[in-house]
Amino acid sequence: MIEIVVIVLAAVGWAFSLSGAVGILRMPDVYCRIQCSSKMITMGALPVLIALVVGEGPVSVFGSRALLVAVLLLVVNPVASHALARAAYKTGVPMWPGAVADRVADRMRRRSRQ
Amino acid sequence: MKTINAVYLSVAIGEVAIMVLLLLRIAAGPTISDRIVALNAMSTQAAIAVLFFAAFANRAIYCDVALWLGSFSYLGAIVWSRYLERELL
Repeated sequence: MIEIVVIVLAAVGWAFSLSGAVGILRMPDVYCRIQCSSKMITMGALPVLIALVVGEGPVSVFGSRALLVAVLLLVVNPVASHALARAAYKTGVPMWPGAVADRVADRMRRRSRQ
Repeated sequence: MKTINAVYLSVAIGEVAIMVLLLLRIAAGPTISDRIVALNAMSTQAAIAVLFFAAFANRAIYCDVALWLGSFSYLGAIVWSRYLERELL
């Protein structure tokens, strides 16, 4: 019974990680790629780690470490994605030509007009 | 080999296969930010692969490698973005 739960969770996590990697390969600019990598951690890495917690038990040697890594990734990943996107925008990485909105540039233009 | 050990080993091998896909983006990325994004995702996958290989081989000491990779990939991303933004160094 436990094996079936572990296999299902690991398969779901691996499928999401694979789709995130394909997204990082195929997306047109760096901002879309940042979005793909953050989805890859939230939906791809966490089910795989929860599979290890289910398989070994939460107070075992490997389960406790998997839980610790899962909490660490869940807390830390949005900060890293946000910092990377901010740095990419400030250094002038161009957007995809089909992008429809640039709120930061709008706000800068409004502030300079005042 | 028990069933659950085979599952752990196959998950570790699958994560390494995903890391190969991300390596293509590191080789081909047009700007340095693309490479940093791919490297960040790759080190997370490496942490999971190491953790599952530790559970497969029943070695508790490999878990610390996974914790190190998980926390220092974050620090690496922060340091790289600061370097790009304010020209440290």
